[in-house]
Amino acid sequence: MRGSGRDSRRRAFRAAAAVTVTAALTLTACGGDEDTGGQRSGEVTVELPDLSGQHLEVAAVWTGAEQENFLRVLDEFEARTGATTSYVPSGDNVSQFVGTKIAGGSPPDVVMVPQPGVLREFAENGWIAPVGDLVQEQLDRNYTQGWQDLGAADGVQYGVYVKAANKSLIWYSTAAFDYAGVQPPETWDDFVDTAWTLWESGTTPMSVGGADGWTLTDWFENIYLSESGGEMYDRLAAHEIPWTDQSVTDALTTLGQLFGEDRLMEGGADGALQTLFPDSVTQTFLDLDSPDAAMVFEADFVGANITDSTDAVIGEDAQVFPFPSVDGGPLPVVSAGDAAVAIAPDGEASEAQEALLAFLASSDAAEIWAEPGGFISPNKSMNMDAYPNDVQRGIAEALIEAGDDFRFDLSDQTPAAFGGTTGQGMWQGLQNFLRNPEDIQGAQEYLESQAADAYGD
Amino acid sequence: MESGKAVIRARPWAVACFLLPALVLLGALVIYPIGYSIQRSLFDASGDTFVGLDNFQEIFSNDSIRHALRNNLIWIVVAPTVATGLGLIFAVLTERIRWATAFKLVVFMPMAISMLAAGIIFRLVYEQDPDRGVANAMLTTVHDTFSGTSTWPDAQPRPDGPLTVQDDGSYLLEQPVTAGTPVLLPLVAVPQPELSDAEPAATAATDPGQVTGTVWMDFTRGGAGAEGVIDPEEKALSGITVEAVRDGEVVAAAKTGDDGTFSLPAEADGAQLRLASDSFTAPYNGAEWLGPDLITPAIIGAYVWMWSGFAMVLIAAGLASVPRETLEAARVDGANEWQVFRRITVPLLGPVLGVVLVTLMINVLKIFDLVYIIAPSSSQADANVLALQLYLSSFGTGADQGVGSAIAVLLLLLVVPVMIVNLRRLRRENKR
Amino acid sequence: MTATLITAQAPDPSAAGPAPKTGPRPRSLASRLASLAAGGAVRVVLVVLAVLWLLPTAGLLVSSFRSPRDIASTGWWEALTDPGQWTGANYDALLGDDTFTSSIWTTVAITVPSTVLVVVLGAAAAYAFAWLEFPGRDYWFLLVVALLVVPVQVALIPVAKLFNALGIFETTFGVILFHSAFGLPFAVFLLRNFFAEIPRELLEAARLDGAGELRLFTRVVLPLGGPAIAALAIFQFMWVWNDMLVALIFADSGSPPMTVALQQQMRQFGSNFDVLAPGAFLTMLIPLAIFFAFQRQFVSGVMSGAVK
Repeated sequence: MRGSGRDSRRRAFRAAAAVTVTAALTLTACGGDEDTGGQRSGEVTVELPDLSGQHLEVAAVWTGAEQENFLRVLDEFEARTGATTSYVPSGDNVSQFVGTKIAGGSPPDVVMVPQPGVLREFAENGWIAPVGDLVQEQLDRNYTQGWQDLGAADGVQYGVYVKAANKSLIWYSTAAFDYAGVQPPETWDDFVDTAWTLWESGTTPMSVGGADGWTLTDWFENIYLSESGGEMYDRLAAHEIPWTDQSVTDALTTLGQLFGEDRLMEGGADGALQTLFPDSVTQTFLDLDSPDAAMVFEADFVGANITDSTDAVIGEDAQVFPFPSVDGGPLPVVSAGDAAVAIAPDGEASEAQEALLAFLASSDAAEIWAEPGGFISPNKSMNMDAYPNDVQRGIAEALIEAGDDFRFDLSDQTPAAFGGTTGQGMWQGLQNFLRNPEDIQGAQEYLESQAADAYGD
Repeated sequence: MESGKAVIRARPWAVACFLLPALVLLGALVIYPIGYSIQRSLFDASGDTFVGLDNFQEIFSNDSIRHALRNNLIWIVVAPTVATGLGLIFAVLTERIRWATAFKLVVFMPMAISMLAAGIIFRLVYEQDPDRGVANAMLTTVHDTFSGTSTWPDAQPRPDGPLTVQDDGSYLLEQPVTAGTPVLLPLVAVPQPELSDAEPAATAATDPGQVTGTVWMDFTRGGAGAEGVIDPEEKALSGITVEAVRDGEVVAAAKTGDDGTFSLPAEADGAQLRLASDSFTAPYNGAEWLGPDLITPAIIGAYVWMWSGFAMVLIAAGLASVPRETLEAARVDGANEWQVFRRITVPLLGPVLGVVLVTLMINVLKIFDLVYIIAPSSSQADANVLALQLYLSSFGTGADQGVGSAIAVLLLLLVVPVMIVNLRRLRRENKR
Repeated sequence: MTATLITAQAPDPSAAGPAPKTGPRPRSLASRLASLAAGGAVRVVLVVLAVLWLLPTAGLLVSSFRSPRDIASTGWWEALTDPGQWTGANYDALLGDDTFTSSIWTTVAITVPSTVLVVVLGAAAAYAFAWLEFPGRDYWFLLVVALLVVPVQVALIPVAKLFNALGIFETTFGVILFHSAFGLPFAVFLLRNFFAEIPRELLEAARLDGAGELRLFTRVVLPLGGPAIAALAIFQFMWVWNDMLVALIFADSGSPPMTVALQQQMRQFGSNFDVLAPGAFLTMLIPLAIFFAFQRQFVSGVMSGAVK
């Protein structure tokens, strides 16, 4: 995908980004909502047509608070255009959901697709329509080329990345770190040492949410990106190099230093395979004095789980450090996000679909969305003051400052059958690896055979 | 049932009015789909190319579908048998109980619940953590009652420390000990809460006539302490059995005191020290209900919970019609209750048991919601069944409705024998 | 628990189901004592089983009244000894959520019409099969009975295509039609057998009074078929109310019935038992109420093969 040349400058860039995150997250006294956030520029940055009498159905995976925050954006769209909208939670498997609806001929009008791989499949199936001038104008104004390209397939722009996530963060319990007397590590070797020290102190170092395959793919991706670099990462994502490649062996060997040690994971490997992602967060932050586990790895949205189901205060009880660099490589920055696409099996997007995509791509929408928190936008022109607190702002600024110097979640770039389906592909392959970390070769062979099926070679 | 005789002559259009709405609906939504599925199963994913039986071959060669097929066989054999067996036991047990109705209501009630709700209910039941899931809470309680819990389940030697973990779970100090030199036996990884009542560790007294030493948690809050040294704040590990072993024989043993020290008689001189495993046995955490090995039995358990009541009610009705004289006669002849049950009740119930089994088998073939809801994503592949695979194969981006239709046809073929039995029974009754 | 109490009771022959026609046989004291002890053991076993059977549902009910934090940290049984944990907040949140409350109405809007439709169409066809003369009557009936065991899965793909062509995919109407079609074989089978038992004289008498086919149906057959119709209605109602698969595919995902609305809440990024537990319990309320109110019809429905 994006070529990577000037590596040293980029490295500095990444480090800067990571430091910003750390600083923002650890120095903030409190992650609450009392900050004076929510400032919008007030000016209208996108002209929308009058759509009175038109109706749009929008589907995404969001439920609960995430859903409510998004509904605020839709409300504004209704107010500006006169159109009516309805929101449908799609359940986890967006492609299954859309496929079912298209089979029956009444798909939603706009869908948030979490994976570029799925977006490409939708495009190949002819389910989605390319964006028009109105949307492209917003994209050019607000998005870097890298973020635009993620929403394109075969050079045609289909989607708009409306929501982003930083997947290179490790959250930790301040109490556990203080008790063991350890500091956030910067390199993978430090990280493993830190884990052992935590273990000696009597706190299980990591909680791994291995029941959800996607968390395991994120582990692999961060290690691979740091160890083998962006170019290899892109080639692996495109399946230009096989999963039996030495670079994959190296990454799994590194990962095995953690996954191969039952003592370092809460419940051991078997326990980790039973742990759902939300439980991995509560295991780390529910008991504030002596947590079950000291660290949990995942994206910025861990913050939402902490706030929802524990008493931990982000910035005090719960802190975060960037995923360590592996083997002297750069700090990895793996991101993810949701792209809005217009479903149009007949080819052309309607005026209303266009208008909604354009609005979602605008700074106006991003600012409304950012106000309640729990949201990071890849929009580079929006007013950062819209974020409700320094933690959110810090993560967002780090993302914007990284420019195109990040990599998108690898499993999300692959075909859904390989990178996003329960019980097969990467999810299952890495779960197999967690279950049996000795057998790196077996895991690689499984991954390669699954990839070969999914990519159709 | 005397069809063919008691018939009212009716005008054709009147018959049509009564009959046609139902027949049209059945034709369009049940019969037509059967034909369509059979035809569609012979074409590829796009529906344009005739591929013969390739889709059926795919069912038997694709790993995940084969797994689903295998699970379906387990389901068909196990679930109806267990549900019917339990139903029979319940029906017999409640036969003479005054509050039988109340019991039957309780067992029968889950039938009124949706598979979705039952799935959510059992997600809670099967929660891995014994502090949260009632199934494992009961298992661990029973387990701990019989085998007790160890005092320091988390204590372990450092990987590079003087002690090594043995296969039997005990910790061995390779270096033989000498009397008069206190031995240090450091352990780590004891969680903070478990140490709250522990006393500070002490250095053992030096006594030339004895082997003495200390077992303690070699970690200071904040990481300030030195490895292998009893630092001021470090806590003692009491109640651990220290054994002196020579040539595989235990020559002396002692327990550590509240300050972590122990002393062994002079016989221990020159022996190896071993910390007995009973203090370190990891706590039993219950079964991995939702793991790959138990997931199918676990879901079958939820199904049995829902459907045993159905079997019980049908069997109880059958039981009520078993002639009491026969049973009494057998008892008079000296048969005990078990013999009466085996030789008379069960054979007389035969037809009812058959109906229950067959009904449940058909029902089990279509099992979908329970599997879809209960199995977490890491073991969904291990829990897969045909009806779920059909849904997954038929809709979505990678959908192949040819394979989906082939699975549908397979399901249909599996119920055909029952269909034929139904029809033959009906015709026999009509002839009478 | 109450074992001693129960064993202390005098044996009551009337409690032992239908009294043996030969009368109680005189028994020795020893055998009486033995059977009393056995009876006591049986009672204890039954009480344990009943508790075991209630436990899962009790867990759901109690969990639905606990805060998300309590659910995430401890087992539901902790709430039994700590009344401070009980809260109605989950229900408040759920019932204040328009998506969920409207899903209740969607469920009703699907369930009631498909129950009525199945009863009406099923009764009409059953009447024709039982009493009206037309060519090939028995074969048509056999065909309908053959359809009793057809799995719904067979129809998912074809009916999706068909509804798509008719423009009723993703509509409540489509879901109603689907449920009605798959409810009909059982309805026809059950009602036809029941109607056929109506004494021929009753119908002939009405016929002589000049009643037409319709009058016979509404005035004689339907009233006499009451019990069977009730059983049918209860079963169809429960089946449709509890369905998830059909609604998952055919219902309007914008306003889905309760089962699908809850299924949509099951996500990887948040363990929301605080939504799922009260939601699941609310979906169970109506079926359970019907179950307890109409146990007799429910049982008689089961007896006649009302199992999908």
